[in-house]
Amino acid sequence: MSPNTQADQSKNVEKAVAAVVPQGTLQRLKVSQIKPNPNNPRMLFDRLPLNDLKENIRLHGVLVPITVYEVKGQKKYAILDGERRYRCCLELENEGLEITIPANIVDPPDKIAGILYMFSIHNFREQWELMPTALSLQTVIAELGEDDTSRLSKITGLSEPQIERCKLLLDYPKRYQDLSLEPNPALRIPSNFWTEAYPVINLAEEELPNLAKKIGRDGITDNLVEKYRAKKIKSVIHFRRIIEAYEVAEDKKEKKRVIDRLADYVTNIDLETRKAFDEFVVDNRRVQGSIKACDDFVSLLKRSKLDHVLEKEELIVALRNVRDHVEKLLLKLEGSDYPDPETENE
Amino acid sequence: MQLTLKKLLNTIKYLRHCLWAYYHFTGYKPQPITIKRVIKWLTQFDEKDRRIIVKLLESVTYYSEKETESTIVNLNARLLERLEKAGIPLKKIIYIQLHDPGSSSAVMLNMLRDRGLIERKGCHFIDSKNIREIHEKTSKLEEGAIIYVDDFAASGNQFTETRDYFAQYIIGNFSEFFLLPVICEEAHYQLSKLGVEAVTRTIHSKADRPLHQHSSLFDKASKDRLIDICTQIDKKGALGYKGLATMVVFYRNSPNTLPVILRGCVKQNPWFGVFPRTTDL
Repeated sequence: MSPNTQADQSKNVEKAVAAVVPQGTLQRLKVSQIKPNPNNPRMLFDRLPLNDLKENIRLHGVLVPITVYEVKGQKKYAILDGERRYRCCLELENEGLEITIPANIVDPPDKIAGILYMFSIHNFREQWELMPTALSLQTVIAELGEDDTSRLSKITGLSEPQIERCKLLLDYPKRYQDLSLEPNPALRIPSNFWTEAYPVINLAEEELPNLAKKIGRDGITDNLVEKYRAKKIKSVIHFRRIIEAYEVAEDKKEKKRVIDRLADYVTNIDLETRKAFDEFVVDNRRVQGSIKACDDFVSLLKRSKLDHVLEKEELIVALRNVRDHVEKLLLKLEGSDYPDPETENE
Repeated sequence: MQLTLKKLLNTIKYLRHCLWAYYHFTGYKPQPITIKRVIKWLTQFDEKDRRIIVKLLESVTYYSEKETESTIVNLNARLLERLEKAGIPLKKIIYIQLHDPGSSSAVMLNMLRDRGLIERKGCHFIDSKNIREIHEKTSKLEEGAIIYVDDFAASGNQFTETRDYFAQYIIGNFSEFFLLPVICEEAHYQLSKLGVEAVTRTIHSKADRPLHQHSSLFDKASKDRLIDICTQIDKKGALGYKGLATMVVFYRNSPNTLPVILRGCVKQNPWFGVFPRTTDL
């Protein structure tokens, strides 16, 4: 990038950021003169803190001015900051309280400033859909000419992982993105489907070249979508098991088993994710859990300073039981186990 | 013989009302209103109830095709004039169709296209399901006005749900209007919470709906009796969706908020209505 372009880009960014914190004039507005921000869904606000704020406003009125701008053609002011205060006032007015709200009236934000404000709202959402953020981020990238994740994070206030996930989503062809824009929630593919499926599609494309050649990357994606619609992917998080299965496979033979299973998984729509891959990862989870248990056990014994205790009989029995169990287990794991007298006849 | 004569006398007694209904509700598309049908509808009820049933029928506000069209076109023309004065050019106006093709929203938009010539003036049209287009168009225009179009809104829930979803994808500063001939008081309140302005001819208040709990248009005895009849026809949906008991009917269909005494039941059996919905037939 040339120094000039870089300087222009920096100017754009500064302008965008500055526009989010504008200066304005102070007025008192009626509740009916105010319009909530359309990007701010109503389910965003927790009831309890809202009730506290409402009671506070009932007693003292609105102390901190909200920030608004005039909406052209509608004789209303749209909220930039202060949605919660507004909602409390709306409720109080419906309860019969006459109320006006101090408002700092500023110029309407330009497109980028509006998007940055939208991001700040999305950041407060607990369960936010990635798609609106991703599409808006695409606009920011195009308008500011800035693609670097770290810089975008600084500009937008979104975290770097959020930006990475948005980018990943934008990497899909539009026809797939559109499946996440479907207004009917029953038909909509959630945006995290794409982010979780991405490494699996990559793995299938890389490790199954014949399949990739035959049906293409889109074919693999289509099959996963079909599988999701057929409810054979119970949770998109289960895609992680596929990657885990591949990563924990210790030798070529085991890796090949995972890849063969992946081929079957991609082509056989009815094969459910966990059913296909649990056998590869469950052992690994048990092993990791046991290693942690051993470490914790040893560490706890060390911390207990038992070397010179006087009441030691019970402890000795307990430790011998542990030793016996460990010895048997070690023999089994090292391949020289002998029949367990307790279970042999069962 | 005596019975037939009695029946005839009864028919003559209500003939004036039936004739009025025939002329007043002309052009109802799901099932044309004929004198015979009105008589058939009325005579399915006990004779002692017919007076109040006729009174209820006369409380219906009917929008013929012509009236619907002229209302929506005039409302739109006034809105465009207002937007122009506010500095919003036609090419920055987006009309949103709220439901599927063939729905009332699509029909109203077509009326505006045909009569209002808004497409030729450079306005944009988007289906509310086309989220990407909403995003891209608003992003390109950056500011302007969004006009949602329909014929009627009752509770406002359906509108709120649709609008809330795609509003997340609106980029830039847009004023928002809901253009429709009639809006119920309930929907009007929902819209005010969203900051969407209703551009309408009538706000259909609860008080204007004889069977609504907040209305005192009818005396208590008549009202209770009519509600009883509605409950006999359909226990759950007696007064229509959410008990809204609205009294507006459009030429192309009646809302599902209309009391069932006027709609009849599904398949029109055993009770048939004077304004069956297309889905009831």
